[in-house]
Amino acid sequence: MTHILLLDDEANILTALRRLLRDEGWQVDTFTDAESAIDALQSTAYSVIVSDYKMPVMDGVTFLQFARQRQPDAIRLMLSGHGDRQSMINAINRAEIYRFLSKPWEEYEIQAAIRSAVDLYQVTLENRQLLDQVKRQNDLLRQREEELLRLEHDNPGITRVRRDQDGSIVINDVL
Amino acid sequence: MADTPSNMPEDLPPQELSARLQQANRQLHQSEKMAAIGQLAAGVAHEINNPVGYVYSNLQTLEHYLSDLFRLTDAVERADSLEDLHQIRKSIDYEFLRGDLEDLLAESREGIERVKTIIAAMKDFTHTEEEEFRYADLHRGIETTLNVVNNELKYRAQVVRDFGDLPEIRCIISQLNQVIMNLLVNAAHAIENTGTITIRTRHEGDHVTLEFEDTGKGIDPADLSRIFDPFFTTKPVGKGTGLGLSLSFNIIEKHHGQITAASTPGQGTLFRIRLPIEQPGAVSDE
Ligand SMILES: Nc1ncnc2c1ncn2[C@@H]1O[C@H](COP(=O)(O)OP(=O)(O)OP(=O)(O)O)[C@@H](O)[C@H]1O
Ligand SMILES: [Mg+2]
Repeated sequence: MTHILLLDDEANILTALRRLLRDEGWQVDTFTDAESAIDALQSTAYSVIVSDYKMPVMDGVTFLQFARQRQPDAIRLMLSGHGDRQSMINAINRAEIYRFLSKPWEEYEIQAAIRSAVDLYQVTLENRQLLDQVKRQNDLLRQREEELLRLEHDNPGITRVRRDQDGSIVINDVL
Repeated sequence: MADTPSNMPEDLPPQELSARLQQANRQLHQSEKMAAIGQLAAGVAHEINNPVGYVYSNLQTLEHYLSDLFRLTDAVERADSLEDLHQIRKSIDYEFLRGDLEDLLAESREGIERVKTIIAAMKDFTHTEEEEFRYADLHRGIETTLNVVNNELKYRAQVVRDFGDLPEIRCIISQLNQVIMNLLVNAAHAIENTGTITIRTRHEGDHVTLEFEDTGKGIDPADLSRIFDPFFTTKPVGKGTGLGLSLSFNIIEKHHGQITAASTPGQGTLFRIRLPIEQPGAVSDE
């Protein structure tokens, strides 16, 4: 199940966003304060985390920075009412956000941005899994090689088994 | 400003001097007004973005809901079988749509109301709709306003009227009513369970005073100096715009009066307004 976290201090913004994401089949969790959103980060693994920029108590950059420490794989997006340059620079550098979403928004912007964030999350996850798999297989290979070397060392020639035309093992009684 | 004291001739006739002083005063007032508007505009852009954001988004959702509903009504029109109608009804999740449509509209209306309030407040700040000062009865204004805000007050506060003998004063009563309304609504909001709001009026010489005292939660001393600032609010987003008192302040200032607040946290708050009976410079034509 894909989990999405939405944080905005205004409940009506959250319901409007939820409506746009209704058909996607995601589990969408909404929060009006950073504190309870942070609590949720403890118990649920999110694919995408969206936060408003301007909020009382804790601003969006700080929250997303926090979210990044807790769940580094989740893709972070920021919702912002004003294109203030410094706040964007902060957001990109400090919270490493993936996209900016502006207020007011077009429905397809939100849907496309979150969809591609979900995709990115899945690709990243898959990548990681494949990498793990490759690593595991490499380890296995190395172990086998070492085992062979050891065998060869203890019993020279044992790893170079000869076969005759019909495939059966030729046992040379050396001694 | 062009007129610096250095190039002001020292031996100007008193008339000329006072004319210049008046001119400088006007300019000062104007630049103060512009600064207030600038401050307001920056705040307003942000305040308006949120409601416009979700109302705009909701309208797009509404479009989808309607096209779903039209699928149903079109099917009725075509006299499709009952079976088909049920099928469509199920596929569009009719129950959800119905419930959510109501919420969507209520939330959107709330958003537009907020924009409306902000725009109305802006108008009052910039005084584009200049109204005339006329003699009016403040007690009547208070009663009218009490009627308007009755809904907000009735479950929370008992209203005590301690009215003195008031002469009619020269004012823009619609604006003073706004001030009274803001103070009453604030008082009601400050009262956590139930309490009392006392309205006191007095006539003293060439001015009158109005007091609004509540037994609400009071104002933190640290906040007391900021309550008249535009957008200062301790209420959750969507509940308060923080414009009520700054607007009221402007209106009272325009009437050459004063508005002050005193508060004891945990006990209550007292707002006092002092208004002159006559406006300086107004011609007595009545
Ligand atoms: N009677 C009162 N008792 C306690 N606090 C008050 C009272 N009146 C005002 N305040 C404080 O002053 C703040 C500013 O008041 P103001 O009326 O300007 O804005 P608001 O009530 O928050 O929002 P708005 O009036 O725009 O809906 C309030 O949020 C509240 O903290
Ligand atoms: Mg108020």
